[in-house]
Parts: sequence; C-alpha cells; structure tokens
Amino acid sequence: MSFHPKMEYAPARFHKSARTLPDPGGDFTYTAENQAKFDANVQRYPPDQRKSAILYALYLAQRQQGFLTRAAMAHVAGQIRCTTADVEDVVSYYTMFYTKPVGTYVLNVCRTLSCALLGAERVTEAISEKLGIKVGETDASGMFTLIEVECLGACDRAPVVMVNDDWEERLAPEQVGEFIDHVRAKGRAAFTGCHLHKEK
Amino acid sequence: METVTLTIDGTQITVPKGRTVLQAAIEAGISVPYYCYHPGISIDGSCRVCIVKIEKMGKLQTSCSTVCTDGMVVHTREADVVEARAGVFEFLLLNHPLDCPVCDKGGECPLQDFSYTFGPAESRMDFPRRVFDGEGVKADVDFGPTLMLNRNRCILCTRCVRFMKEVDGDAQIGIVDRGAGSEIATFEERGVHSLISGNLMDVCPVGAILTKDYRFKTRPWDNPGVVDTICTLCSKGCNTSAWLKAKPEWARGSQLIRMTPRFNADVNNYWMCDIGRFTYHWAEGDTRLRKPMLRPSTSPGQAPLEPAAWRDVEPKLRDRIQDAGSQDPASVRFLVSAHASTEELYVLKQLVEGLLGNDGARAVTVTWTRSDKRQPEGTKFKVPGTDAPNVNGAKDLGFEVGPGNEGMPDLTRLRTDVEAGRVKAVYVLDPGPDGSIGDVSWLVAARRSGTLPLLVVQGVLMTELAAAADIVLPGTAWVEKDGIFTNDQGRVQASSRAIAPPGEAREDWQILVSVARSLGLTMPYETSNDVRRALATSKPGTGYAEADHLLFTRPVPARNWLQASNPSERWKWDFLFQDLPPVKGHSVQMEGVPAQETSIPLKPVG
Repeated sequence: MSFHPKMEYAPARFHKSARTLPDPGGDFTYTAENQAKFDANVQRYPPDQRKSAILYALYLAQRQQGFLTRAAMAHVAGQIRCTTADVEDVVSYYTMFYTKPVGTYVLNVCRTLSCALLGAERVTEAISEKLGIKVGETDASGMFTLIEVECLGACDRAPVVMVNDDWEERLAPEQVGEFIDHVRAKGRAAFTGCHLHKEK
Repeated sequence: METVTLTIDGTQITVPKGRTVLQAAIEAGISVPYYCYHPGISIDGSCRVCIVKIEKMGKLQTSCSTVCTDGMVVHTREADVVEARAGVFEFLLLNHPLDCPVCDKGGECPLQDFSYTFGPAESRMDFPRRVFDGEGVKADVDFGPTLMLNRNRCILCTRCVRFMKEVDGDAQIGIVDRGAGSEIATFEERGVHSLISGNLMDVCPVGAILTKDYRFKTRPWDNPGVVDTICTLCSKGCNTSAWLKAKPEWARGSQLIRMTPRFNADVNNYWMCDIGRFTYHWAEGDTRLRKPMLRPSTSPGQAPLEPAAWRDVEPKLRDRIQDAGSQDPASVRFLVSAHASTEELYVLKQLVEGLLGNDGARAVTVTWTRSDKRQPEGTKFKVPGTDAPNVNGAKDLGFEVGPGNEGMPDLTRLRTDVEAGRVKAVYVLDPGPDGSIGDVSWLVAARRSGTLPLLVVQGVLMTELAAAADIVLPGTAWVEKDGIFTNDQGRVQASSRAIAPPGEAREDWQILVSVARSLGLTMPYETSNDVRRALATSKPGTGYAEADHLLFTRPVPARNWLQASNPSERWKWDFLFQDLPPVKGHSVQMEGVPAQETSIPLKPVG
C-alpha cells in the first residue's frame, strides 16, 4: 500500500505498535431504523458541520450492537464523512463508548474529589469483591461491568455510582452488596434514581 | 497595512494587525519557546510553554493564541513568567525519556534546547516514566512506509494531527485515549500513507516522528554543510536544502544526508513531497556513471562498453557524428530530458542551430514522464503530474513540447523516423534519474537491431539505454551543477552545486560545449554563468533577463545558513548553535531574583 513507486513498504522489518486495538468486528451497517434516525439527526447541523453529529452517530451504533467495533467506527466515519482516525479519537476519549462487550448494567464509579473523600475507592473495592472482577471487567454472568469515571456532577450526593443512564446517589461502601443483589433480583426497578427526579 | 504597536520586554514593536504576540516576539528576536505553534498550520495552544505576562490581563497568557493589540505591554522575563514556564517544562519532561544521546532529533531538538534554556535545573520526578509500546528499541514502531513513531517521546503538541488534517487533507492521525494515556495513533495502527508524510518529521518538535530514511544515519552536528537548492523531480520546483555530511570517510562515499524543504510562500510553502525528499540516493548510487565509455566495435551488441578517457572519446564522438550527418545533417537527432537545465538546453539549441540552421530545434525531441499521484481532494500541497522540472524552460527556448506540463511528450515523429531507418544517430541528454525519459525500449531495440547506427547517451546513470549506447558520457545530477529551471508557474529558479560530480563526470553544459566545439562551432562559454549571461542577453525583458543574477549557494556552515535562510525552520535552528551556558537551567536570568547557586553539590562516597 505504498504510494511511492520506488519506495517499498516492508512493515515486517519494524516493531509493531503494542497498542490494544478495538475489536475488528464483523460487517456493520445501521439498521434501517437507525439509519433513518441518523439521517434525521444530521439535518440539525449545517452541511459543513456534519461532524457535529458524531456523538449521536456513535451512540446509535453502540445501542445497535452493545459496543463499538472497528467496523462500526468505519461505518460511522463513512456516514459522517470524516476519517476513521477522527472517529477513534472521539470513541477513545469518552468513557461512555465501549470498545469491548459490556454487561447489562455498567457501574460507573465516580472517583473525583467529593466522591473520593467520601470513600469512592472503597465503593470500587466493595463492587470488585462482590462481583469478583477488576475495574474494566465484566462479571461471569455478563450482568455487571465495573468502570471508574471522573466527576458525574452529583458531588452533593457523593459517593455516586452511575448505573447505565441512572445515578445511584450516596451509595456507601457497605450498601454495595445489598444494592447489587437488588439489581440482580429486580433489575431496573432496584435503582433509586436521582433525587432531583424524585423530588419533582 | 494596518499596524499595531506593542511593548515586549521594554522594546516597542510594530507589527501588522492580526499577528499574535508570539509571532511579534519571534520577528523581534525575543526568544519565547513554543512547540504546538507552527507557522504553516493552525494555532492550537496546547503546549503552554509560550506563556507570557500581559499587563491588565489577569493570568499568564499563551502568546501563540493572543492577538497583539495597540498599547499591549508584554513581559517574558519576569520572575512569575520564568517560574511558570519552568513548571510547564517540568511537566513536559515528566514522561519524556532522556534518550537524547541516541535520539535522532538530538542536537536539533527544540525540546532539548528550550528545556536547557527555560526549563528547571532538575526534575522532581521520582516515579517511573509512562511507557508505550516498550522501552529502548521497542519504543520505535512502524508508522507507515516512510515513518517511525516513538510514542514515549511525544509531548502531544498535535502538530502532526493538524498537519494531516489541514495540509494533507486526510486526517489519518488522531489522539487516542485521554489524559495520561493519550497517544498519537492511526486507525488500526496502519501508519501514515501520504505523499507528503516526510514533513511530519519536520513538524514534530521532538524525536517522536522520524523518517526511516534519516533514522540512525547521522547526527546533526556531523553535517554542518547546507546548500540552498531546488528539487527537480517534478514541475513544481520546491525550494529545498541539501544537507551534506561533513566527513566523507564516515559517509563512505555518500555525501547527501537529507533533503528538507525551504520556505517559499509562492511555491511550496513550508513543505515538500516524499518523492523529492527521499529520491536523492540515485545521484550517489552504484549505477552512477563515473567515466566516459566507448564500444570498440561499431556493430551492435558485439563488444561491451569500455571505460575511456575524455580525450579519446571526444574525437571519436566527433568523427561518428560527422559520419552520421555527412549525407543529411538532419539525420542526427537529439532526445532531451526535461530534466536538463535551461543552460544545457540553451547550449544545445545553439549546437543544433549551428549544425542545421534556424529550424535546428526540430531535430530535438523533449521528453518527460507523468505519473498519477494519489492525494486527498482537500490537500493544500498538490504534487503536479509532470515528473520533470524544466518543460517550461524548453518551451521558452523554442523547443517543441506539445501540451507542456499538462500532458505527455510526443515522441512518435522521432520513433517512426528511427524505426524507418531515416535517423543515423540519436544523441540522448538524460541528466535525470533512471526512467525519467520515459519508455525508450524502442530506442534500445532499434540500436540492438542495427536500425539505428549510432546511439550516444549523455547521462548520469547506467540505464538500459546507456548500456545499449555506443558512446556514454558521464554528466551531472541536479545537486552537482548550477542550473536554472522554469517551473510550472513560469518561475525561474536555481539549483546549486552542492557536491562535486563523481569521477570524471562533467557538467552537462560543458560536455555540450565541447561537442559543439569539436564540431567546429563557436561556443564562447567558460563558466555556466557565461551561458546564463548569454541567455539573459538573448531574452531581454523576460524572467531570464535576471538569470545571471540568480543566487547559487555553496555549502555553507549550517550556523550561517540558519541565520540567513529558512524562516520555516528558524524556530528550530535559532537554538541549534546558540552558545548555551555550561550549567543547565540558568540561562534566563529572572529580573529581581538573585542568581542561583550554580555549583554542583558533591555527594560524599560511602
């Protein structure tokens, strides 16, 4: 794949990068429904600012197959009309894009200041212990994935854990075991949710 | 032009409106360090080392992204600026390996030089450095056909990312991950595949991106000779600098060490393509012609070519050309590469006009090649299709060039005449690299079969065509002679003699002059400048009228060269040969702060 007629490219002669690449994945295209959603969304931006739709485009892809593969990134790049490197740039920057399969419930433990002061590390440890997984791993049942993230913006109710799209506020380390059992038993109904929504 | 006046470090500076404080400081010769700023790409403000204090602004400002306003008062040497800047340097060096002695950028590395000048005396870091890919040799990973990447050295200035996005037009490089894990990467680790990828080594302010061609080859202080010249591999005519190795005994015969672009806003800006950057080895390659050669037997394919002395070759050449042209002078034909300089073409024109009269130019066929260069649509650096530098020069001198730079040369007339046996001799002038005169297998076949009785090749390399010739004359490549070339914009530019021709090779205009003289023509030229002067006189009122005033540079010490030329690289070079103080970290004296103790504390042994 060399462009220069006289410059041969022999990559085998050189060290390869040790970077862990996202899963290549099989063929990926949006479902008709997602394609329609994307086409509608991209209309919201001026034609020369098409790249603005990239987050939405990636969420669609992630919802479609649970996580983002290289094939999915390439498909999104084609849709957005940017390069694949641009897409990977965005995907790898945000913690809410997953490049490997995740469990039904993704536990995002906040580790920024307020939460850290109120024992976020112990929350992580308790989850780890309960599920037998390390940060970034998914448990054997495929139900839970543990991730550490930066500030979730709920410092007044620290320590906070975000489970999928819901906050779980003031989750003391000792309550973690019980909470996980509840989620196992009751699913989404076990979430206490954000106090702002409750107080309304 | 609207201007604004500001004060930097007590000096009043007037700059055009819209300049940033950093640009104003650079122009005024006030050294402010910077990494992410590059004059050829957009402003980013990510490296933070160019911070300055601006009165009436609350915090320290990045000078690269602050536009000058009237009456602005800027300080770059006050204690808080110096201290904050040293802090930034300490952070930049947190994870940067101290492998300067083995790094190819060492000696011309802005991180090295600026850290010495502005950085703290020592780092307080006592934890292991972040490592990607591996340490030592394993840190260098493949980054496409021309490049190697060392992520440990990267300071994430994102110049390469912006270069690919803005200049190349295909954003192949991105920053993967975030925070401390950020790294420069291409999708799937494919590497950079671009016709202008070599510029990434120039824009990289550290040794993170290196070209495979230059890697492990030399150290910058070993090649202090630099020559300003131009690239002659296509019709664009990029302004370049040829770097020469100082010690030939180390170079084992090869003196050219690299080609780098030289700023010219009208032609190539700060860039050059990989074809020009990496295709220079042929000039000093093994197939180079060093001595004239003769085939003892006149029947084709009988005896091999044998080296001969010029004094033996010249009379033979004269006899055989006269012999071939004895019945009809027009049966001696010339095939000339558009790699020939305008001087050579001018002498040739006088030669053919001397032999054939005013329509002598009809005996000359100018040839070149074109190639398809795949580049992204939005690229700002377009490499033209024509692979020869002087099609316009030939056109200006009245040679038939058909569609010129826009198309292919038309060799059919010469070919039909040769194949029909109407041509008694073909004299080829081919000072370009192998293959630059296009497909001439028909000419080789004609000579081998005897249809063509005489083939003379004046060239640089032992090409297939030269191997089939009866007489081979060693000419010179573009780095070995002063020559002028007219690029596709019609701009007359000069290439300079950087190195001596190898062996007994002669400058091509000299060979043509001696051939002409041996044929009885008057050629009053002793130096190539005589040719240019004659050319200038013959074409008053054109670009050529200035031809004899063009500047041809000789190898100059890089120090002088850096001071006099190449503003695009001055950010790098200003610091290269600066007299640095012997002790690290004390070159910038803070105002109002006593000089620090410079003695190195000795640790008691045991």
